[in-house]
Amino acid sequence: MSNFSQLTSLTWTSLGEKPILDTGATVFAYFTASQISRLGGNHPLLNPTLLAIIIISVGLEATNIPYVAYLRGADLSQFMLGPAVVLLAVPLYRQKAVIRISARLIAVGLTVGLPVGILSAIGLARLLGASSQTVLSLAPKSVTAGIAVGISEQIGGVQTLTIVLVIMTGVTGAILGPIVARLARIHDPRVLGLSMGIASHGIGTARALQISEVAGAFSGLGMSLNGVLTAILLPVISGWL
Amino acid sequence: MLEQITRVIVWLCVGEIASRLGLVPLPAPVIGMIMLYGELAARGNLPDDLGILADRLLQFIGMLFVPAGVGAIAHLDILRAEALPILAAVIGGTAITLLVTMVIASRLGITAAKGQLRRIDQIERAVRDVKL
Repeated sequence: MSNFSQLTSLTWTSLGEKPILDTGATVFAYFTASQISRLGGNHPLLNPTLLAIIIISVGLEATNIPYVAYLRGADLSQFMLGPAVVLLAVPLYRQKAVIRISARLIAVGLTVGLPVGILSAIGLARLLGASSQTVLSLAPKSVTAGIAVGISEQIGGVQTLTIVLVIMTGVTGAILGPIVARLARIHDPRVLGLSMGIASHGIGTARALQISEVAGAFSGLGMSLNGVLTAILLPVISGWL
Repeated sequence: MLEQITRVIVWLCVGEIASRLGLVPLPAPVIGMIMLYGELAARGNLPDDLGILADRLLQFIGMLFVPAGVGAIAHLDILRAEALPILAAVIGGTAITLLVTMVIASRLGITAAKGQLRRIDQIERAVRDVKL
């Protein structure tokens, strides 16, 4: 019996230490952010992740709750991220028919877009005097966030900084994609979608889906393949960066 | 559904082991993703529950980055001190990537214009089967 009560009290203690409140705050902020984003017609600037980060930060500042107290809850999100990235195989598998038909276009897009994405960011940052820590955090900026954090950790970047840079890149690509296509007189939705997925991952893909179904499918494909290939290549070449 | 959750966790564990042992220089979840893709390709079909699980979880994948993004407030000093190189790399780099990829992909990636209409038709049929 005493064993039982000890067990019960242990259970409660561990529950009390579990980050239920922090996770609750995250879910609530993200829900609110999604609603705002939907009301605003899913404009790329109203990215739900970005809005939720702002909501939580403002909330923490306002209530004087230290960031560290909130961030204990991050463990739970980090745990969910692993299975979510594994599940990215599903949309990729669904697109295998598209891959077969447009293999050449996809191969060219990745051969060009992947290195240009990494080198243009690193080059500009270096040129303007960024620290090497920042440069390494920038390197995987075009990759979908779940994969980017893993790469960032592996090559010596700052994970949390990488996430913010990844989101900034996604929002930028979602806004610039259609503008650049117009300026370059690109009318093929496959080229537009693929480029947006390679340059600006899931946030670009969400925008491409609004343009057309074909653009969305190619964007999702560009995002997935770019993520996997960057994860393979970047740790190998990061020594020279 | 439990079977599919187990499938995902097992591949994630395989990825974790392979990554820890240094067998593959890739983040563990990426190894798991490649293994799951390989398994699906070998089976030749996608279990319904796995599709549902992926759709549901990936719908709010953006939520999982919120705490880490809030953590970046801790790096606000870096963001502020290096604002110019960071903005140039993010905005300039993304614009360059989009432009170069679009121009070269449309020049080299698209085969003869004649077969193109038929190809686009084929693609639209393929895309219809794809549920993003």
